[in-house]
Amino acid sequence: MSFKTKDVVLSEDRPKTLLIQKHSDFLAAYGLNKDDYEFCMTEYLRMSGIYWSLTAMELMDQSSRMPKEEIIAFITSCQDSESGGISASNGHDPHMLYTLSAVQVLAMYDRLDAIDREGVVRFVTSLQQEDGSFIGDKWGEVDTRFSFCAVMCLSLLHRLDAINVNKAVDFVLSCMNFDGGFGSKPGSESHAGLIYCCVGTLSICKRMDALKADELAWWLCERQLPSGGLNGRPEKLPDLCYSWWVMSSLSMLNRIHWVDKKNLEQYILACQDAETGGFSDRPGDITDPFHTLFGLAGLSLLGNSSIKSVNPTYCMPQETIDRLKLEPQILYV
Amino acid sequence: MHGRLKVRTSEEEKARKEKERQEKLKHFKYAMQKIFTKRKNGDQDKEQLDLTEKVLSSNPDIYTLWNIRREVLIYIRKNIDSEENISKLYDSELNLTEYCLKINPKSYCSWLQREWVLTTRTDPDWKKELELCNIYLKLDERNFHTWDYRRFVVSQCKPPLQEEFEFTTEKLYDNFSNYSAWHYRSKMLLELYPDLEGGRPIQDNHHKHELKMVQSAAFTDPDDTSAWFYQRWLLGAVKETIRVVTFTVTPQKTIVAWNKFVSADYISSQLKVYFNDVITEGKWISCNEHEYDNLWIFNHNEEIVENINVKIEHKTLDNENEIITCEKYEPFVFIGKNKICFQNQYSESVMKELNEQLDSCRQLLALEPDSKWTLLTTTFFLHCINASLYHKEVVENLQTLKKVDSLRAGYYNDLISKWNIEQQLPCDYENNSLHYKNGFKEKLTSLPHLQYYSFCKTVDLSNQDLTSCILPFLKKLQICEVLDLSGNKLTTLKRFPNLNLEVLNLQNNHELNLEEIELFKEKHKSIKVIF
Repeated sequence: MSFKTKDVVLSEDRPKTLLIQKHSDFLAAYGLNKDDYEFCMTEYLRMSGIYWSLTAMELMDQSSRMPKEEIIAFITSCQDSESGGISASNGHDPHMLYTLSAVQVLAMYDRLDAIDREGVVRFVTSLQQEDGSFIGDKWGEVDTRFSFCAVMCLSLLHRLDAINVNKAVDFVLSCMNFDGGFGSKPGSESHAGLIYCCVGTLSICKRMDALKADELAWWLCERQLPSGGLNGRPEKLPDLCYSWWVMSSLSMLNRIHWVDKKNLEQYILACQDAETGGFSDRPGDITDPFHTLFGLAGLSLLGNSSIKSVNPTYCMPQETIDRLKLEPQILYV
Repeated sequence: MHGRLKVRTSEEEKARKEKERQEKLKHFKYAMQKIFTKRKNGDQDKEQLDLTEKVLSSNPDIYTLWNIRREVLIYIRKNIDSEENISKLYDSELNLTEYCLKINPKSYCSWLQREWVLTTRTDPDWKKELELCNIYLKLDERNFHTWDYRRFVVSQCKPPLQEEFEFTTEKLYDNFSNYSAWHYRSKMLLELYPDLEGGRPIQDNHHKHELKMVQSAAFTDPDDTSAWFYQRWLLGAVKETIRVVTFTVTPQKTIVAWNKFVSADYISSQLKVYFNDVITEGKWISCNEHEYDNLWIFNHNEEIVENINVKIEHKTLDNENEIITCEKYEPFVFIGKNKICFQNQYSESVMKELNEQLDSCRQLLALEPDSKWTLLTTTFFLHCINASLYHKEVVENLQTLKKVDSLRAGYYNDLISKWNIEQQLPCDYENNSLHYKNGFKEKLTSLPHLQYYSFCKTVDLSNQDLTSCILPFLKKLQICEVLDLSGNKLTTLKRFPNLNLEVLNLQNNHELNLEEIELFKEKHKSIKVIF
């Protein structure tokens, strides 16, 4: 049996420059037709969709093309007065994931007053468990994604004091693996997306010291494949969103130079669709707002000067994080 | 959207598809509307289960619909049905999740629903669940949801851990490229075979056995990366102890550097500072203002006079007492240094195994001198077996790796910097100089272990390959007076820390902006900036 590295080959006619206008048009048009099939079928994650689109637009300095007042009114309408949590869309149930997305959007708009902030604090706090972990909603799913959502959400509201931060950190650390990475719960395999969540949690809680920085960063830089793209676990195909999960983690570890920036940039640019606009997971696939954000944010970390600077912990424009006077930790070891 | 290829279609085909989609959408919207209305009206009945089932069968990620199903099931159980019928309902719920997982094996909601059913019903069949995991892992051996679910099932039905360990062996002999199985194995190895007496993570004979297993895996196909990560972990699985490395007392500052991050609580309980044989109380401040740090500043009220006797006593977590006594290096400068060692300590039998494997690696390397993984592994064996003896060869290998595996050149450069510093440090700790300069020809690209040099008054980092990324590290140079950063690759001074420098040389950093230097000078008036 001969081993073959899973990867893609970039074609010669791939996009090689950043098509900002195309992406801005793509996102501005997304959701204009409320009867669009894709749009309707993704209602259950609408709030995150708004966060992906708005952040991408912000990074391109085009957020004025988004219907700001409509979005803010929508968020207000999605808050559940009883639990304080926010849902993906009207009629759906409040959940940690969408509560965070809503808070991120409002933080970018500097309109956190549009929701009952104490309600959000109450909701997030109510989801912390005895062992420090967080569940996504009252149904009890435990995941390190929710730990990250919780601390990010509360820190954006300057209310980290509302939870037991030490226990939250201890739980995340109990998910650390032999390779220095993290999974979704204790015992789970390392995965770049969850590594981002766990490193991000430690960055916000200022406990980056607890990481095995060299081991983890080595595992992360080994995600880069000959095409320049990054995968999320060993022996998997590259996917554009890992440009964000891996690169943001490496940024927080101050080791972004462990990957080849030029090759990665080529891969990210190749994931653009020159006709429709937007980015996809791999060259030639269908584009969507999710990958469009992470493509742009990845390019921002690589230092592309036509995109605003993104904060590696929050995946929001650095200027928003500065305005809120937040200082997530970067590791200097 | 993951892995959906864009396909070109004719206009006609497009129109036909769009019509089909609009039809589907109509049904979808109607069903959702009906479900939400029923929920509002409190209709928790069989019809609601049927409606949600229909939508979920093609859209298993609509989380709210699963919530509604659980509410209905709870309601039915509480109010109406017989135990037998309930059990049937649970069975059909499991069938639904199975169906959904066939459409999307990574559907978080479907997996959660399955967990919920099994922990809610009174008659769960865990054995069947474990078998289901076996089947799913045959279909996709890397689906982390299935692995997580397996761990959940195991936590409920508690089969002997040994059986699970053997399951990973079986999986790995099917395919050594199964990283998920290596991962699971690492967890169980620590639980089954910890070396409680020796304080090492893994018992010797098992440590050795695992090394052998990795070797056979890795040599089956060196380009498959999975086993190499496991091997790297095994190589690093040695005992680690927190130690003080150096201790500096000047009239301005008293600082203690550690080999690892420690908290103020740790220091307060494990460390005593004696001035003239009397315990001194004071406050510990982290150099970076963090909860855990490897350099701590001790605020106390002792006066530092010409002749003073200072020592510290560190009680390690193994209850070993290390006492470090300060020596006078200069008038009013007292420094204590510990014995430092970066060499991994292995048992005799593991060491023997490492040496044997090194030999096989070298043989393989002779056949394929440019094989990245063979070269990298050889290099790590050399470093782990005897870092100082093999240092030259290690660095040469890393230089080759920069070419063979150029994507990760930045990593190899930093590794050279780190291992060069580790070679130099023990020598620098032997002499009485208050000066630091890189003694190797390879230029430094990063500054690991800088807290070890916290006692230096003059630090020469000139003509290295340092970028502005390293600036925050300089905070460790707490008593440095003269710092030379000339001839590097600095681009900005934005994150330059506050230090009590007298002289700072920034010459020949060609991308450093003049305006920024002027601003820096303005802000740090007491520093003489050479540019």
